[in-house]
Amino acid sequence: MKLIKLYKNTQIFKVALVVAIVVVGYIASIFYTQMRSLDTSVGLITNSTETQLELEKVLSTISMYESNLRGYIITKDESYLKNRFLKRGEIDQNIEKIKKLVANNPRRIKDIDLLNKLIDHRFNLFRETLLLSKSKTFDSEGFKAKLQESNDFTETMKSFVYKTINAEGDKIKVHNVNHQFELEDSIISAFLLVILTLLILLLSFNKTNVDLVELKKANDELKFLNLSFNKAEKIAGFGHWKINAETGLYTFSDNFYRLLGEEPYAFEPKLENLTKYIHPDDLAYVIQSHKDSLISYEPTSLTFRFVLANGEIKYIKSVGSFTQNSKGEMIKTGVNYDMTDQYEKTLKLEESNIELKSINEELESFNNIVSHDLQEPLHKIQMFISRIGASDKETISEQGKVYLSKIGISANKMQTLLIDLVNYSRTVKGDKVFEEVNLKDIVKLVIDDLSSDIEDKKAVIEVGTLPTIKGMSFQIDQLFVNLISNSLKYSKDTVAPHINIYSEDIGVEEYYHDKLILDSDYHKIIIKDYGIGFKQEYAEKIFMLFQRLETGPKYSGTGLGLAICKKIVDNHHGCIKVQSEPNVGTMFSIYLPKDA
Amino acid sequence: MISHKDSMHILIADDDEDDRTFFSEAMMELKMNNKLTLFNDGKDLMDYLSNPDIIMPHILFLDLNMPYMSGFECLKVIRADVRFKDVSIAIYSTSSSEKDIEETFVEGANIYIKKPNDFAKLKKVIKDVLNINWQFHSSGLNKETFFFSI
Repeated sequence: MKLIKLYKNTQIFKVALVVAIVVVGYIASIFYTQMRSLDTSVGLITNSTETQLELEKVLSTISMYESNLRGYIITKDESYLKNRFLKRGEIDQNIEKIKKLVANNPRRIKDIDLLNKLIDHRFNLFRETLLLSKSKTFDSEGFKAKLQESNDFTETMKSFVYKTINAEGDKIKVHNVNHQFELEDSIISAFLLVILTLLILLLSFNKTNVDLVELKKANDELKFLNLSFNKAEKIAGFGHWKINAETGLYTFSDNFYRLLGEEPYAFEPKLENLTKYIHPDDLAYVIQSHKDSLISYEPTSLTFRFVLANGEIKYIKSVGSFTQNSKGEMIKTGVNYDMTDQYEKTLKLEESNIELKSINEELESFNNIVSHDLQEPLHKIQMFISRIGASDKETISEQGKVYLSKIGISANKMQTLLIDLVNYSRTVKGDKVFEEVNLKDIVKLVIDDLSSDIEDKKAVIEVGTLPTIKGMSFQIDQLFVNLISNSLKYSKDTVAPHINIYSEDIGVEEYYHDKLILDSDYHKIIIKDYGIGFKQEYAEKIFMLFQRLETGPKYSGTGLGLAICKKIVDNHHGCIKVQSEPNVGTMFSIYLPKDA
Repeated sequence: MISHKDSMHILIADDDEDDRTFFSEAMMELKMNNKLTLFNDGKDLMDYLSNPDIIMPHILFLDLNMPYMSGFECLKVIRADVRFKDVSIAIYSTSSSEKDIEETFVEGANIYIKKPNDFAKLKKVIKDVLNINWQFHSSGLNKETFFFSI
């Protein structure tokens, strides 16, 4: 696997190729020098062989002269002597040739000079023998002696020449052996050269092949990517465009045309061809912004309308930004997004928002009606009751007094209900401004507000440490008013109410409707009483609107108080839980976020 | 400075006839020997006040919800006129909404009274308000002391 990876790495392959080429070059240069030395050794051998040949030629010429002389001596035929013995003829040419061949060998030159002298002497002997044979006074003894001398000298010369020829022969042998070695070296070099070259060729071929396959694969993937991009554009309803800021050439994608309600490439991609599709009111701003960006290279984000040939209007969001291509030219690439649906949805949303606002306003005016217009007649009823009770005390029957008091109680109940309703709708209202609220201060104020009730019941309220939270103070105020009033209201007749208000750390496993509540996220505030309590099974019910557990005339509730508490805690992104047991007491736990 | 030992001139503007009656009956039962003038609405009140010859009132009880000219509008006009700088204005309304309390406080009312639902309480409120040392009350006025609690 590692090898294949290495093999596929183009960089490593390049290095290997360079190394191989260097090695081939090195071997080739060795091969070249070997061939050169081979060439010189061949030259040397030829040289020696030629020298031998020339030397033999000299000897054979001498022998020919000798036999011609003998022929003359025997036959006295002058034709044997024709053009001979006076000149040395070919021998001089031969000697010249030899001299040239052995020019590099000083010892051989000396030998040749000696040979030249020997030849001169031999020719002298020829002449002397000839003169003796031609003389009138033929001295047979002297002639014989001359002949003998001539013969001996020829032998001496021959042996000298053969010695030289042999010496050349030895040289050839040495050269031949060298030649053999060099030849073997060259063959090895040549073989290595061929093998290496072949190897490089094979490697290159394979690599090219692999690269080609990968290139094809990449090309296929690119084609597929292009295809899926085109499809994605179509599905997502966006089209893209490009403009080369240098050349001014535009490119529009297929879906770009489709967004205009045209077939792909329905017209040449040019800015001028687009203008008829842009809404006349948007045209100037779109063209100006685009042209400005081509100078400043600032990205653009434009919203405008396309008017299609069939009159349909499309809301388009067009964003574009610049990048540099490989030639360093600035290219603006952009996407046109069809946001007609979104635009229409936003319009609808705005409409329903306006509707919601008017509903809210209606709720507000309803609030005003409840808080003022309904309270006014009620206030009147209460006033008249108190007037009758004060001025006509004596004249009213006992029964009448009871009825009067019942009317009074009902009127009071109605008033609390109205106040609670107003309070509840106030907690539903939209404007929620959070501020720092010190719970300790709030509780102190609430206890002040409720002081008459507290004194009436001789209640004891203990306040422990309480945190500062982020919230709406008037709502938090309402929350404590309701909870403390609740505890005061549902107290035992025989025991003075005792209420504890404090905060505590949240335990490891505290849940609210399966949601784990962590001490790091929430404050926990406890309001605990030792009142009449209720069965735990009603724990959820008590927070519902108009749900009451105690309906006896003793407990004047509206069924709104705890619903308001729940709403307030919800408004603060917190939660409220209750634990209660009949005749033991009730404990409310409020969880308010630390980071609201 | 108006002395409270003398008989005081008190005005009340309230469009509700019964409430006017309760108020005058309460005043009568208190036997405080004060002069009380009643107005049926804001416009009635402003017409009276525009007369330069009137005896300057000490305290004006002003209902908020009135036809033609609301108590809030009256408050603004009166507080814009230096002639009435020594007149104490008590808002007298069934509403106890934060908004009303806040706005009348900002516009310069001296006290905010929620109409009591009991005649005896009404008498107590009137007695207490007439006995307020206005100079002392106004110097330490804040939103908490502004709302009169019975």
